[in-house]
This record gives sequence, C-alpha cells and structure tokens, in this order.
Amino acid sequence: MGQHNKSEWNLLLPVAMMITFPFICQAVGYDAISSTIFILAVPLLVFPIVLILGQVFKGTDMWKHDLKEGGIIVLAALAITLVLTLWLVYEFILGHGHFPGTGTIIPDWISFDLLNDDGVNHELIGAAGISFGVWIDAVSLTVLFVAAFLCFLICWFSIGYMTTDPINEDRNHRFFGEFLLFSLGMFGMLLADSFLWLFIFWEIMGLCSYLLIGFYWEKPSAAAAAKKAFLTTRVGDVFLMIGLFMLYDIYHSLDFAVILDSPALTATGEAVSGDALVWPLLLLFVGCVGKSAQFPLHVWLPDAMEGPTPVSALIHAATMVNAGLYLVARMFNIFAEPAFEGMLSDVAMLIAWIGGITACMAAFIAFVANDIKRVLAYSTMSQLAYIFTGLGAAMWFANNGYHHLATVAFGAALFHLFNHAMAKGMLFMASGSVIHEMHHAHDHVHEDGEDHGEFDPQDMRNMGGLASKLPITSTAMMLGSMSIIGIPLIGGFWSKEGIVGQAWNVYLHGGSMILFPAMLVLITAGMTGFYMSRMWLMTFAGKPKSKAASHVHEVTQWIKTPLVVLSLVTAFSGFLLALFGFQHFLGEENGHLELHDGFIYALVATLEHAFLPKEITLKIVGWTTIALSALLGPFIAMRLHGGGLAKGEEATPLVAWLVDLSGRAGHTDVTELAEGGFATALHNRLYIDDAYEWLIAKTIIPLGAACAWVDRVIIDGLGIKFLIENGTQSISTTVRSLTTGRASDYLLMAAIGMLAIVFILWGVA
Amino acid sequence: MIEPSWIAGLGAFLFVIGLAGCFTRKNAIIVLMCVEIMLNAVNLNFVAGAAHYQDVHGWVYTAIAIAIAAAEVAVGLAIFLALYSQRQTISLDEVTLLRH
Repeated sequence: MGQHNKSEWNLLLPVAMMITFPFICQAVGYDAISSTIFILAVPLLVFPIVLILGQVFKGTDMWKHDLKEGGIIVLAALAITLVLTLWLVYEFILGHGHFPGTGTIIPDWISFDLLNDDGVNHELIGAAGISFGVWIDAVSLTVLFVAAFLCFLICWFSIGYMTTDPINEDRNHRFFGEFLLFSLGMFGMLLADSFLWLFIFWEIMGLCSYLLIGFYWEKPSAAAAAKKAFLTTRVGDVFLMIGLFMLYDIYHSLDFAVILDSPALTATGEAVSGDALVWPLLLLFVGCVGKSAQFPLHVWLPDAMEGPTPVSALIHAATMVNAGLYLVARMFNIFAEPAFEGMLSDVAMLIAWIGGITACMAAFIAFVANDIKRVLAYSTMSQLAYIFTGLGAAMWFANNGYHHLATVAFGAALFHLFNHAMAKGMLFMASGSVIHEMHHAHDHVHEDGEDHGEFDPQDMRNMGGLASKLPITSTAMMLGSMSIIGIPLIGGFWSKEGIVGQAWNVYLHGGSMILFPAMLVLITAGMTGFYMSRMWLMTFAGKPKSKAASHVHEVTQWIKTPLVVLSLVTAFSGFLLALFGFQHFLGEENGHLELHDGFIYALVATLEHAFLPKEITLKIVGWTTIALSALLGPFIAMRLHGGGLAKGEEATPLVAWLVDLSGRAGHTDVTELAEGGFATALHNRLYIDDAYEWLIAKTIIPLGAACAWVDRVIIDGLGIKFLIENGTQSISTTVRSLTTGRASDYLLMAAIGMLAIVFILWGVA
Repeated sequence: MIEPSWIAGLGAFLFVIGLAGCFTRKNAIIVLMCVEIMLNAVNLNFVAGAAHYQDVHGWVYTAIAIAIAAAEVAVGLAIFLALYSQRQTISLDEVTLLRH
C-alpha cells in the first residue's frame, strides 16, 4: 500500500473548503438561509467539471493518485454542502435565523399566462410563475442533514473502495460525477418549496439511480437490474404525476406555502373538500411506494444491489429510498387540517397496511438470503416499512383529532428514518469492506494457484470467522445490526419502540383496522432480530468457510474512517437525541432541541417513556418487542449459525463476547426446514417477481406483438405497399418515360408548351 | 397584289413542315434543314409584312435573320462534325446524353 506512505495532502482541499466556505459566505453578506443556494449550486457546477476533467485526464498519474480520479473534488463539493447544512442546523436549533418556512431565491423562474377556459370563452385571468425557493422546517432539515452527512462519509468511503479496484480504472470519474449529481437531486428534493420542484429533483435521483446501478454495464445482470429499477419506479412516478395534476386542479398551485399552510383553502381562497383529496393523496402515495420500495413495487431494490457497494449504501439504503417517506411526511399537514377530520383516515390506514405487509414480507425473505448485500436490501425494505407504518399511525391520529399523539408518532417515524439511515449506511459500508477484503483475499489465494472456479465474494456461505481479521468492520457491523434490531439503548431502539407502540395506540383509540399491521410490525421486530443476527454470525463468527476467508486483512484507511465515525453516531446519537426530545422537535413546527428540566430529569423521563409507558397495553407491547427482537431472534440465530472462532484467533473485546456467546448457544440442525416448501418460496422471493414476469408475458408482450403485427401487415402492407409504394411507383414510371433524352422529343414538348401558352393568352385576351 | 393572309398561310404551312421534320427525322442534317425551313417561313412573313405596310423594318429583320441563319448552320455543322468524330454517327436517336 504505497499510497499510505505518501502524505495525504490532497485531503487538504476538502478540509480547507469546509472550514472557509461559511466564512466566505458570511463575508459577502449571505446568511445561513440564503447560503442554501450553494447547497444546490456547488454540486450543479462541479459534477460536469468532474466528468469533463475525468474524460480528459484519465490515466494520468495526477488524476489517479492525487485527485483519486475525481473523488477528492467531489469530496470537497460535498464538504461544502455538509458544512452549509450544519450551519443551517445550528441556526435553526438555536432559533437565530428567521425561518419563515419558505424563502424564495429565484422569483418567477418561468412565467406563463393562465387561461380561464370554460369551454366557450378563453380569457386571460392572470399570470403565474414557477419560482424556486427553499422550504426549511424540522423535517426537511433532519433529512437534509442525514443526506449531507452520509453523502460526505460515503464519498469518503468510496474513494477507498472504488479507486483500489482495477475493474473500475479510468471510469471512476463517471462514478463520482453521477454520485454528485445524485446528491444534487437529493438536496434539491429536500429543499424544494413546491411539489413540482420536488418531483423534478425526484426524477434526477431516479436517473442517477439508474446510471449507478448500471455502473458495471458490461455485466448483463447489472444492466437488467438498472432497467428494472428505472421502470419499476417509473410506474410509481406516473401515478405520482397524476396525483400532482389532481392536486393542482384542486389547489391551483403546487407550492407548499399554499397547500401545506392552509390545506383547507385553495390559492384563490376557496374551500377545499376533504373527500376530493383522497385520490390525489393515494396517487402520491403510490409514487412513494415505488421510490421507497414498498410492497407491490418493491421488486427493484434487491436487484439494485448489482451496483457498486457505495451506491447501495448511499442511494438504496440511506438517502434516495427516504424520498418516498419524506413526501408522505410532507402530507402530514393535510391530514392534520381540522376541516378534513375523519375524511382521510382510510388513506392513513392504507399507508400503515402497506408498511406492515412489506415489513413482514421483506423480513421473511431476508431469512434465506445468502448474499450479504441482499440481506441488507431486504432489511432496508423492512425498516422503511416500519417508518411507513409509523407515518400511517401519525396520519390517522392527526386526521382524527389526536394532535399530541400524532406528533409523537410522527416524531418516532422520522426518528427511525434518521436512525435507520445512519445504521444502514454504515452496515452497507461495512459489508462493502467485507466484500472488498474478501475479493482481495481471493485474488491473493488465486495467485498461489490453489482456489479456482466460481467465487462470489458477497456470499455469506464463503465467509465465517472474520471477527478476528476485521476488528473495526465487525464492531461497526455489530453496532449497526443492534441499531436495526433495536437492542435497548442503542440507536434504532428509541424509534422502533415508538413506532410499534403508536401503531398499537391507534388500535386503542378506535382505529381497529390497524390491528393487522400493528401485529405484523410486532412480529417483524423478532424477525429482524433473527435475520440481522444471522447475517452477522454467518459473516464474523464460526470458522472460515473458504480459503479466501482465512486470508482476509483490513487495510484501507479510507474505508475504516467513515465506519468509525458512523459507529459512534449509530451507538450514541439515538440516546442523545431521545434525551433532547428529538421526536417532539420533529413533530412540532419550529421546535427547539433542548433538555427539559435538566439532564437527570430528562434521562428519567426518556427511559420511563421507553420502558414504562402508562397504558398497560403499551407496556405489554413494548416489552414483547424487546423480548422478541433482543432475545428470541438473536438466540435462534445463534443456535442456527453461531460458533466460536478457529483456534488461535482473537477478536477484539468489543465483539468477542458475542462470538463466545454464540458458540455456547448450542446448535440446532434445520436442514429439513431450510429445504421445505416455504423456504423455497422465500428463495424465490415469494414468487412476486415471477408473477410480474408472468403478467408482463401475458399482457404487454402480446400487446407488443399485436402492435408489431398491425405495423407490419396493415401499415406496411396496405398503407405503404398499395397506397404509397404502388402509387408513387406508377407515377414515377410514367414521368420517367417522358425523359427520353432525344432532343426532338424535348423540342416537341417545348412546342406543345408554347402552344399551350399561346392558347391560354388567347383565352385570357 | 396577293392577299397577305395567303402569304401568312403559306408561312404557317412551311413552319409546320419544318417543325414536323424536326420532331420526326433522325438525321441531324435533315433536322438542320428543317430549322432553315422554319426560319424562312418566318422570313416570308417579314417580307410580306414589309411589302404590305410599306415599312423597311421587315426587310432589315429578314436580312439579319438570313445572316444569323448562315452562322447558325456553320455552328451546327461544326457540332455535327465533332459529334461524328466522337460517336461515328449523327443519328439523333443515339445521342441521348440528356437522359442521364
């Protein structure tokens, strides 16, 4: 590793950018809110530069080592966006800046005239403009922070991951350029102040997702996965677009300021009926289902793992899939409008149902997945589904007048978004580290001429016993898994507890329809405990299951640093933020993060809220969740997949206890179950992909064939052949026969023409 | 004095004979002779008109036309010679270069 001995002076560029940029902004008179324009402008300017420079300079030494094939430039750009976001967060929490909800930056970007068209008259009733502005509140800021923070760390990680793999050589500038374009889309979507801009940036993200999944375009599976992801999300987007049209029809505007500030009034001040909003909201939700990979449109996410691991970490786990959640969260004000009370409960219930079904289904499929990234992909689906359930519960509360409970449920759901993004981003990076080192170890073994044939560095059946070889990765992965499982006091526990509790709370308050999803999320908590433990144990515990696994070493500093940072965040941020009342901060407009009545009181109150809620049902539900997720699930996983390390191998003390524990848990043989019908169905992803394929084979392909037949026989056959082809043929044959080339014939024609002119003139005269 | 209309009729008759010859004959020299007939049909009209109206312009035009016809015949025969040296024929049926 010669690069390590060289001083990493290139890191100075992002660091310098990060430190100086806010001061530069302040010096030229920009405050935190007006500086948000740079969060969008910097990626927009830099991404084409990276692409062009990469195309020009690729292969040169400076580009490859000093600039890491563009990675350093992108890291610098992301550092600027991160520091601006932090500035914004700082100002927002302290309440320094004036946050009006919206601050228009470029007014009247496009102007157009509005016509009053009643079928008879078309008269001009005024001009309307599409302006671009930013909308900043607790929700958008939280997700923006998550996005900026993870974009930065994952870019850091990818510099280590992407530039050390020879297969990526000379095309990493494409990766980094698209990475930056993606972050532009994400930031833009979060800052947008109207549904229209949100949709535009939403589509930019979809494009980048397509491009990056297909980064290894020469692999047919990657190309197919990219197409599948793009087309599946497009299905959702079409519904989303129709929903936006309907929304515009109702409100005469798509601005958040119109729709969210006073959902009961249109832009021109007329009253809106709640029943009319059911369909647009449902259609918007379908778009969210596609983007966030929920039940009927989830099929693209597991295949999207064909992309490079940093892409899976960033786009398909930590940020883009949150877009759907963010859009649903944006609808909260509509549900909370007193004028619509009780009218939108069914939509809320549907959101919760989709969440419950997806959570359980994805967890089941994760039981049998052997590809480490696919386990994480299904886990992502399952956790996002939790958030949808929580949002559904919050919407139901909001729509039925329980405003305090709505705030709690809403806060819990978005808190889970935060925790999940942090933990899952890190888990994917850790899995990337495992895959990377497995791959290198395999190449190493392969050089010795021992191990030939097919080898999948992502298959957990080839791993095992890595805890001693990858101390940092194994610790990070343990913490991330604990956060996802919801081990008490760590990360996701605080939010998952809230979601499950509030879902049951809806049932207690009369929303009997939610019983099914509430039960599903409760069961899924235990299933999460099983599949996450299974993944960790298969990877890190037991004895190496392949030659490569026993030759793994952890090397690259670029990969380790983000893991350490995110481990700390995952382990402690949940508790800290819970102490500061983060859930209430999210639910209430312009709230403040603060310790209520001192540290000790806040600590007691938070713990009491989590472990000893007042209602007896919530207490039972809470403790059942803990028992299922923290004890039962991991225990079964240990019985099935646990085992001590090989002799002479020492894991770090942080994870050694877990390995030892799994070794003592005993062993149960489940071969029979693993070969049963249900397991086969799970291996085939419950046949949903096959069902879609069958449906497409029975509908779209015959339709296409019919269209092709019409084109070939009717259009080409009758239309082209008889009308056009024969007609022009015969005319041109006739005309051609006049052209003999004999001078005397032309003379004859000239004479006839002359005579014709004479006769015409004679006639006119 | 002969009626001018008779002379005009004779001119028209000669002109049509020349024109028909141009359309139908294949030998280039005969076509050239037909062109001369047409020119002379016109000259006949000019002369008859000049005599009828007692106007000298008609005779002047006729003299110019005869001079130009002589020059034209010289040029035409030169073209035919050049054509013959290239193609060994002056049959207009075989000279269809305009078609291509």
